[in-house]
Amino acid sequence: MKSIKTIILGLALIAGGAVAAHAQSRPPLSVNVNYSIAQPLGSLKDYADKTSFRGWNVGVQYHLNDQLAVGLKTGFGDFYERVPRAVYPGKGEDISAVQTRTLQTIPILATVQYTFTKPDAAVLPYAGLGIGTANMNYEKYWGEFVEKENKWAFQVSPEVGVNVPFGKYSPFMFNASVQYNYAPYKQFEIKNFNTVQANIGLKFHIQ
Amino acid sequence: MKRTGLMLSALAAFVVLVSSCRKEPLNDMTAEESRIYVTNYDEKADFTTFKTFSIVDSVAVISNREGSKKELTQYDQQLLAQLKSQMQARGYTLVDKAAKPDLAMNVSRIDNTTTSIGYNPGYWAGWPGYWDTGYWGYPGWGYWFPSYYNVFRYNEKSVAVDLLDLKNAKTGEGNKLTAIWNVMLRGSGVWNGNNIETMVKAVFDQSQYLKTTN
Repeated sequence: MKSIKTIILGLALIAGGAVAAHAQSRPPLSVNVNYSIAQPLGSLKDYADKTSFRGWNVGVQYHLNDQLAVGLKTGFGDFYERVPRAVYPGKGEDISAVQTRTLQTIPILATVQYTFTKPDAAVLPYAGLGIGTANMNYEKYWGEFVEKENKWAFQVSPEVGVNVPFGKYSPFMFNASVQYNYAPYKQFEIKNFNTVQANIGLKFHIQ
Repeated sequence: MKRTGLMLSALAAFVVLVSSCRKEPLNDMTAEESRIYVTNYDEKADFTTFKTFSIVDSVAVISNREGSKKELTQYDQQLLAQLKSQMQARGYTLVDKAAKPDLAMNVSRIDNTTTSIGYNPGYWAGWPGYWDTGYWGYPGWGYWFPSYYNVFRYNEKSVAVDLLDLKNAKTGEGNKLTAIWNVMLRGSGVWNGNNIETMVKAVFDQSQYLKTTN
């Protein structure tokens, strides 16, 4: 816990420079837990076109003041599509198979977030940016036989959302946001990782 | 107290999310969906130049548990019959192996409990139990599979069909019979007789180049 704080404080210095400490309306450290739904786009959609309802993310943030926060975020997403039997030609080869195409992603992002309103507002809209890395686990099943590759990619995720406190100055809030994820990830038919993701969850300031 | 409650419920929600995250492809897969039908072919071969073929009289059973043997079960009879009729439908004439056929067809069932056998369909050509080249009148010869033939790692049961070029056997280097066509049937139920017709039809359907002109 102490080391996480140290990392976040370190990030704070990199991101925002020295920010004078002053009285804040809520405790500076917050945690959020979200359920997420993601829609693949581009070549990822061609690979597995189903909207993913199997995603979540968690984050911790250190609030430098009532507007600006820096933090870390991680999560999980699972993309999946089963394609009916087809013949896939290769070099000197043809394979008839039902393909089950999957991709699991685990991003680890450093985040910065800016809230547009005063802390006593009923709704706190914000914009944020996450930059970091993502573990991409590619598993394509040919029938019951899996073709598998695991690697890391750079990822950037801009986000806009709202926090709705449960009462004025409450440290406990409802959170809803939309984020775009991009990673220059290449694997066979996937040319890059491109998704739009909606999150809903809870955020609470703990200390 | 209130805060502790919130933390605990958040933690509980988190655990539920983590444990139910991934959709497992194998959980809802039927036997039909689990099967793959792979065909490899020699890109240099001109399949129309061959006119006659012969097929083995039984099926080699290659196992890493029980050793090797030749069998002719009801399944094997059906499999051989299907292969014959599909070849004939492509214009090839079935002849006895003594009548110097242009093409020879080896049929094997492979039964492995490990996944360590490798990727190359020609790999088991050296296994005890696989068809000896002597069967086709070339004792002491070997088999050769083009190096780009490759198939997926598999386990359990599979079926292999290898179509060999006897016509050009004399000109081959190092006394090897070249496999110009190879079939691998793998997945659940490939040793089930009810699936033979579908599987054999599928591999011929995806091999439209395999035909001759009369």
